Amino acid sequence: MKTTNENEFVTLVQKHQNLIHKICRLYTRSDAEHKDLFQEITIQLWKAYPKFRGDSKFSTWMYRVGLNTAITLYRKSKRRIQSQNIDDFSYKIPQAEPYDDTEDQQLKLIYQAIKKLNDIEKALIFLYLENKNYKEISETVGISEVNARVKMNRVKKKLKKQLNP
Amino acid sequence: MKELERLKKDWKTNNNFPELSKEEIYTFLHKKSSSIVKWIFIISLLEFGFWSLIGLITKNSEAQQRFDSYNVDAIMMPLMVIGYIILIYFFVMFYKNYKEISNTDSTKSLMQKILKTRKTVKHYVIFNLVFLFISSIIGVVIEFSNNSDLKLTISQFENTNDLYIFYAIIGGITLIAIVVLLAILIGFYYLVYGILLKRLKENYKELEVIEVE
Repeated sequence: MKTTNENEFVTLVQKHQNLIHKICRLYTRSDAEHKDLFQEITIQLWKAYPKFRGDSKFSTWMYRVGLNTAITLYRKSKRRIQSQNIDDFSYKIPQAEPYDDTEDQQLKLIYQAIKKLNDIEKALIFLYLENKNYKEISETVGISEVNARVKMNRVKKKLKKQLNP
Repeated sequence: MKELERLKKDWKTNNNFPELSKEEIYTFLHKKSSSIVKWIFIISLLEFGFWSLIGLITKNSEAQQRFDSYNVDAIMMPLMVIGYIILIYFFVMFYKNYKEISNTDSTKSLMQKILKTRKTVKHYVIFNLVFLFISSIIGVVIEFSNNSDLKLTISQFENTNDLYIFYAIIGGITLIAIVVLLAILIGFYYLVYGILLKRLKENYKELEVIEVE
């Protein structure tokens, strides 16, 4: 039987589910892994939900728990694809509209370059793409604001180098 | 960087994700977590269960009964009690670490807590190895001083130069057996905890590098 708390939580997660999907898109390489990580993030969010007091926006709180789960708590599935070709990097979802990779080869290459970054760099890029300022980035990751700025510039340079060798 | 700006634009608009229903999300809440920390705690409990089971199975074995007949409780009981007290201490620590870890902390602070668990695991492994080594040595010494067959063999070698060779062979075999046992245990720990914590260690190093630079 569902409790009011569960109902409230599920409604919030459903409303903000794209945010979790976006984290999964950066941290996984197959649909199976995507599903696993989505599930794990939901479990961790539910576990932490009693601590959510509404001081921050639900979505902001989700960033933190979601990224922490992807970086530190998630055990990658053995189903992970070992050999990767270029198509593995474009995000694929069975039920959804297929991503038109012929139309935008460049975007696919950017995603491919991001997939090659380490977990922390991916987190920085994720927060950057989500329009977070350096204060929020530093608070989420746990480094100083100056370091977040320096690191972000390095990640951008790294991506640029990969995209324009 | 124009490529990133382009990606940012796509990031906002490209939301072709499967829409999960409330029912689907609800089922996730009741699934089991695969969190690394939870697994460390579970594995340590399973390991405790495994060794306790081995103890129970061998309790009535001929070798164990012979060992018990040596009346060495004065040595073995304190050793066992100390062993169990330390083991219980480790479970409490594992459980405490598991409970303390909060996924709402900053990534770095969360990693610090998990790595504290790693330190506990390391101490736990060292304790187990040292305890096994000490117990094996004590066991061998007790066996040598009480086993009538061994005593008889030693007396046959006494007053001959072969006694040293006999001790050397027996000592060598015992040492090899202990080393093999320890190697198996180290291999097990390396596989289980090493793999579980490898990626975490790499990520933590990455964050430390950012702070130092």
